[in-house]
Amino acid sequence: MMRQTSRKVGGKRNLIFIGTLLVLGLIVLLDIYLVDRILEPMGYFYLFFVAVAVLYGVYPLHANRRLTRYYWERTKRHRLSVLGLAFIILLVAVALIGPLLTQDPTRVNFDEKNVPPVGFTIQQSVYDLDTDKFLVREIPGTYQHPLGTDDKGRDLLAMLVSGARVSLQVGLLATLIAILIGTIMGVVSAYFGGWVDQVLMRFTDIMMTFPFFILLVFIIFIFGPSLVFIILVIGLTGWTGAARLVRSEALSLRTREFVMASRSLGASDARIVFRHLIPNVLSSVIVIATLSIPGVILAEAALSFIGLGDPTVTSWGMILNAGQRSLDTAWWVAVEPGILLFLTVLAFNFLGDGIRDAFDPRSQL
Amino acid sequence: MHHNILEIKQLKTYFFTRSGVVKAVDSVNFGIRRGESLCLVGESGCGKTATALSILRLIDSPPGKIIDGEIRYHDEDLLRCSGKRLRQIRGHGIAMIFQDPQSSLNPVFTVGDQIAEQIRMHLKLKRRPTMERTLHLMEQVGIPRARERMKDYPHQFSGGMRQRIMIAAALSCGPEILIADEPTTALDTTIKEQILDIFRDLKQQREMSILFITHDLGTVAGIADRIVVMYGGRIAEVGTVYDIFDQPKHPYTHGLIDCLPDISARSDRLTSIPGMIPSLIDPPDGCIFSPRCPRSMMVCRQKRPKEVIVSKEHLVACHLYS
Amino acid sequence: MKRGGLQGYIIKRLIYAALIAFGVVTITFILLRLGPTSPADKYLANMSARTQDPAQVVAAVEARYGLDKPLYQQYGNYLINLARGDWGWSFSTSMPVIKLIQTHWVYSFQLILLSMLFAASLGLLIGVCSAIKQYTRIDYLATFFSFIGISIPNFWLGIMLILVFSVQLGWFKTYYDTGLPMFSLANLKALILPVITLGTGMMAGYTRYARSATLDNMGKDFVRTARAKGLPERVVIGKHVFRNAILPIITIIMFSLSGIVFGGAYLTEIIFGIPGLGRISFNAIFASDYPVVVTITLIGTLVVLLTNLATDIVYTWLDPRIRYD
Repeated sequence: MMRQTSRKVGGKRNLIFIGTLLVLGLIVLLDIYLVDRILEPMGYFYLFFVAVAVLYGVYPLHANRRLTRYYWERTKRHRLSVLGLAFIILLVAVALIGPLLTQDPTRVNFDEKNVPPVGFTIQQSVYDLDTDKFLVREIPGTYQHPLGTDDKGRDLLAMLVSGARVSLQVGLLATLIAILIGTIMGVVSAYFGGWVDQVLMRFTDIMMTFPFFILLVFIIFIFGPSLVFIILVIGLTGWTGAARLVRSEALSLRTREFVMASRSLGASDARIVFRHLIPNVLSSVIVIATLSIPGVILAEAALSFIGLGDPTVTSWGMILNAGQRSLDTAWWVAVEPGILLFLTVLAFNFLGDGIRDAFDPRSQL
Repeated sequence: MHHNILEIKQLKTYFFTRSGVVKAVDSVNFGIRRGESLCLVGESGCGKTATALSILRLIDSPPGKIIDGEIRYHDEDLLRCSGKRLRQIRGHGIAMIFQDPQSSLNPVFTVGDQIAEQIRMHLKLKRRPTMERTLHLMEQVGIPRARERMKDYPHQFSGGMRQRIMIAAALSCGPEILIADEPTTALDTTIKEQILDIFRDLKQQREMSILFITHDLGTVAGIADRIVVMYGGRIAEVGTVYDIFDQPKHPYTHGLIDCLPDISARSDRLTSIPGMIPSLIDPPDGCIFSPRCPRSMMVCRQKRPKEVIVSKEHLVACHLYS
Repeated sequence: MKRGGLQGYIIKRLIYAALIAFGVVTITFILLRLGPTSPADKYLANMSARTQDPAQVVAAVEARYGLDKPLYQQYGNYLINLARGDWGWSFSTSMPVIKLIQTHWVYSFQLILLSMLFAASLGLLIGVCSAIKQYTRIDYLATFFSFIGISIPNFWLGIMLILVFSVQLGWFKTYYDTGLPMFSLANLKALILPVITLGTGMMAGYTRYARSATLDNMGKDFVRTARAKGLPERVVIGKHVFRNAILPIITIIMFSLSGIVFGGAYLTEIIFGIPGLGRISFNAIFASDYPVVVTITLIGTLVVLLTNLATDIVYTWLDPRIRYD
């Protein structure tokens, strides 16, 4: 079944991919040395993401429509995973177009601080200048700020939409980097074996034992919290699980007939790796990618929660941090981003579970 | 009429799977007499194991379920007795040995413990006598250096030794009936003979009934008093060893005997029964063997054959004799 | 089993642990020194009110702590001191690092220990029950809640617990009270919310593993053998199934320890203001107090490595098939 994929994936596509990478690299060099700011750093990430997604995601899915439909049918039987997918699509849509529709998430307005969400009313003591006394005033939620405001009067809806964008950016891009590194490490390690395998796997072991979160905190603290940097660091440290999984998958593939056959026909190492091993571990890679996105999103949220997020963008962790400080006056500030974070993680977990079962030939759905 | 110690009547065990209802055991009747060894013979998937498991209600549920029937042991119906009573009978009155000794032994307990646990359970013996009994059993089934080996784990034994341990465990409480479900299938040919020897000895030494299940008619000869031939979840023929080997009636039994490699025969080709093992989902209306039967008639495809008594001990379910 | 094999294996693993610890120290050390702020600057910020000439102070501080020497020499000195048991001086709290750790480790320890007990016992119980009752309402409910448990961000859960039980209902203090004696009911009560915060995600994970491990083993042939022997279901599940299912679960629990020590406990301590090692190293990072950071990271890594080793040894008792040579 997957052998059909292997015929269609690979070949020219890898050339196109490497070409795209080269062009991107060139633009980066141009950007640094000649012209100032052709693209924001994020822009390169996006181009890279789109290139990988189209070449290794959309195109093979399209080329193998029958297989795709089969997997989709199997995934669909998990109702919760379809629900998860729907939520993720909705979130992506909100993150893409939402910021155009909402207010400026950074606009501070102390006159409208701590306004509760629509449908709630809170009592606030306000210092009245005329009578020189504290007055208890009822503040109802308004439709101008449907989800309320924080202690600086910023609109929470706008902040949450901005946070969705941050979370998805970090989640998707950092996972992409991690998975790419992991896949390459795993395939190379499995295919070449011997000392290459030894060295790479020892290195993976050390990376696994290394306190990941503390490392993250260190690096971000030392080199400054920028979103691009956070993505890079999470991506460069989070590949160990994928590497191990891909290695074991590829190890079992290495001895299968079609790889043997193509080797006996004189295929080069690179050809075997790119045309046979990588396409055939893709399904496991997709599963582990989906299942590692939640962890990455949580790591970013935790970072910005402890104050090491990118201060130039509003993220859910940052709102949570603010919310924790005003728990007694404005509970919704801490509740709302948390619910979104929770639902996002849940959605990816549901989806990942569904995909895993769909790809697992042993599971009877 | 001999006294049947265990009587299986109209047993129906079905498996409810995604692709349909598998009628693994479909109205099966037979009895086991005191002290005899009865062999249940048939191809893989003919419902032998399902029948054996049904006796002690060990069918995995879901997907399996005993739909109907009666299994009479002494004066009790095992299919309707309480769980507590059933557990008293399991291992004590009726013991069972399984096909694959490798997976049937728990890998994390010593073999001594796995033999001893049911002695403690059923006979309520103290520690010392339990150990003595375990030791004795292990020696009896031919395990060398039993005193040391009691403390070893299943993976430290060879396949044949493991099956000996399974036998020792099954014999531990002196059961009236021993059910052995293909006890030699997973073993090498040479080891197989040794295990069969143990069964032959058991048959001679003990006043115990044995239900021996096998797909290989060749292993039956030295062990069986009587033989039950099963096909497609139903009984094809029942008779003494002589009935079955000398005067087989059912075309399927004929086929099975023809398949045995015969040294004296001139032909050096192995014969086989043409056709496929039937699907037990939606079996044909008539005789289930009819699609493969060389002597199939019109009526075979329409009516299910009744069991016909051909001689004192000999029953056959075939339209040729009705 | 051959004792020599196990001993050799332990020695090999200890050497391996030492190498990893060495790697961790090195990487942490280098990372911290690469940082833009010199520790002396922070020190200076603390001292500036009392001195006239900042440059002099910087020089004095750097000389005193060896910061004026080249990086490799500092590193060498640090390693030598580490080996001698001198774990350095904490700039921000003005005390030896070892003293700092001695006073604070117990807070982390009690939190992690209680959370693991809570998570492992409940997770195992729910997981095994859910496996026994597969495809019933109990099973679906347990599976659903374990999904929620693994998806809920633990720092948010902590905040929500504080919001509901401390702010709204007033049952607990919003902050952990350090003044309580260690072995008192009051201390236990103060730890309830932190333990739930840290333990819920772990518990949900363990539940899922316990369920699948139990289900895996319930289909094994030896379970049928055990039933055929006439053993009651209590013994079949409690002895034969559980004893096999526990093996992969132990691995998972030990494997999750690293994430708990370095991720969950860290955040939980910050949320509840528990002065454990996580919070200390958090403060130390922001104060560029690197001996504290390096030492705490090292301790954490060693704890994780040694528990992994301990698990492997326990494994040889639990699973007779395992041999290390």
